[in-house]
Amino acid sequence: MNDQAAASPLKRKRSVWRKLYDEKYLYLLILPTIVFFILFRVLPIYNMRLAFFNYSSRAAWKFVGMKYMNMIFSSPGFMSILKNTLIISFMKYVMLFPFTVIFAILLNELRSARFRKYVQIVTYLPHFLSWVVIAGIWILALSLSGGVNQIAAFFNLPQIDYMTDRGTIRWILMISEAWRSIGWDSIFYFTAIINIPAHLFEAAEIDGANRLQVIWKIIVPALVAPMLTVFIMNLGFFLNAGFDQVLNFSNNAVQSTIDILDTYIYRIGIESGQYSLASAVGLLKGVAGTGLVLITHVISKRLTGEGVW
Amino acid sequence: MRTKFKFSLSQTVLTLLLLIVTLTMVVPVLNIIAKSFSAPEESVRMGGLAIFPRKFDLINYRVVFSHPALMRALANSVFITVVGLAINILLTCSAAYVLTRPGLTLKKPLMVFLIFMMLFDPGMVPEYLVIKDLGLMGNQWSVILVMAVNVYYLIILMRYYQAVPSEIYEAAEIDGAGHLTTLFRVVFPLAKSGIATITMFYAVIRWNEYFRAGIYLTKTKDTTLQVILRQFVILGDTASIVGQQNLFNYNEFARIDYNALRCATIVVSIIPILLLYPLVLRYYAKDVMAGGVKE
Repeated sequence: MNDQAAASPLKRKRSVWRKLYDEKYLYLLILPTIVFFILFRVLPIYNMRLAFFNYSSRAAWKFVGMKYMNMIFSSPGFMSILKNTLIISFMKYVMLFPFTVIFAILLNELRSARFRKYVQIVTYLPHFLSWVVIAGIWILALSLSGGVNQIAAFFNLPQIDYMTDRGTIRWILMISEAWRSIGWDSIFYFTAIINIPAHLFEAAEIDGANRLQVIWKIIVPALVAPMLTVFIMNLGFFLNAGFDQVLNFSNNAVQSTIDILDTYIYRIGIESGQYSLASAVGLLKGVAGTGLVLITHVISKRLTGEGVW
Repeated sequence: MRTKFKFSLSQTVLTLLLLIVTLTMVVPVLNIIAKSFSAPEESVRMGGLAIFPRKFDLINYRVVFSHPALMRALANSVFITVVGLAINILLTCSAAYVLTRPGLTLKKPLMVFLIFMMLFDPGMVPEYLVIKDLGLMGNQWSVILVMAVNVYYLIILMRYYQAVPSEIYEAAEIDGAGHLTTLFRVVFPLAKSGIATITMFYAVIRWNEYFRAGIYLTKTKDTTLQVILRQFVILGDTASIVGQQNLFNYNEFARIDYNALRCATIVVSIIPILLLYPLVLRYYAKDVMAGGVKE
């Protein structure tokens, strides 16, 4: 490209407008995509101002200032919803996190390539099932007549209706998240492992290192950078906590234990039509979520010299 | 000798551990398939660990495939997936082409715009109101259009396009090929695996979409399979399924085991995913599947 420009000084002298004109067909090609984003992303972003207005489908919206923001913080349920969101996110993004890394390491330790392939084929699949399907499978497997209670009965353990038990439902969310994504998410780490230069392993072998030493001294250090990347990205999801999963795993018995911000927004906004209040919660969530990512970006850059982008 | 023995012991433990992990995924799925193919009198007594059908019977599938609402939903799902996928591919492929042209004047502002669109989620209510204002509520085009481009997949495809050697573009330009000709005749064949990859990802999110379909498709006749699945399997709404069916085929319905019928509905909804899955492994997961320990 640079060579070309240097070779024809005429081209370089062309004005920006002339260049844009020459590229007009390219912009025509990308135009539908831009129009799509303006209609279905930019307009909704503009609609977020509803947090400070009273909604009306006919007349202009009436500005009401902080009315809905105050309403959120004075509502008795809000703090417990926030707490649920943070707890569920912590379980899914912090407690589960090391298991995905360990899974990738274990997969790499397998000697039999055929068995490893089998494990990969099976564990990558659930990622492609919808949460509706997964919840359907889990509801059946966890019911009192399902497989899990059958195994528990075999070991003389108590029978629990896990899906309607407040004590277990958050664990069910965490474990089903693992069930769905541990395989697929481990690909990122597994790729990092197989990209470790072979001579490092050879050197370790010559030095007489055993497998545990190899894992600890060679593999784990190679995984630190990808782990940090994933961890920071997860922080961006912290206020989401996985809406599709929670919505499908929820039922009347456990709703108060796993009600998160997004299910709350869905209920008050879409189901009961309190658009302004729902938009206010959404706006708070969006701003706080973006803030979280920015903060972790800065911290990460200070610590490691590497940011999120 | 001693180290070798120790080594294979750890391999055995490791193999067993990973085998158990995979069984938690294999057994429930096989169990659902087995129940769906069993006679109702048997399927009610089958536990959660049975993986073979008992008294093979297609009754559940007869009910599913003769059910007007379910069949309608299946047809809607296929329509929305196919048309939506065509739009996804067309827009993503052309946008990626434009954004990978060397020296594109507006490349930077366009990329900044797209990445902002990816990072910032306006949330469900503002989007809902836009669908309403655009008059798309209750129209299948709402679900089709609202998911037209995914920036993340666009960036994946751009990486594949960038791998196409620039000499090829120059040759096409010298031969007088226009942008569309270059895109369809030159880029498509060369970035085939990239296009295959994003096609599969788009197909999966299209097929699995239940939430927007559930709130934007206000009429039952427009709804999709995942929405019905959610009503029937998750919310336990048997009334909507039985209502019409009762009039239609009473005798057979009296025999039915609802849980087995749920299983059959789940199976029908995951068949397209299972058909697509080998391609995902072939195109996307190829490297990690071939990789492993470097000797």
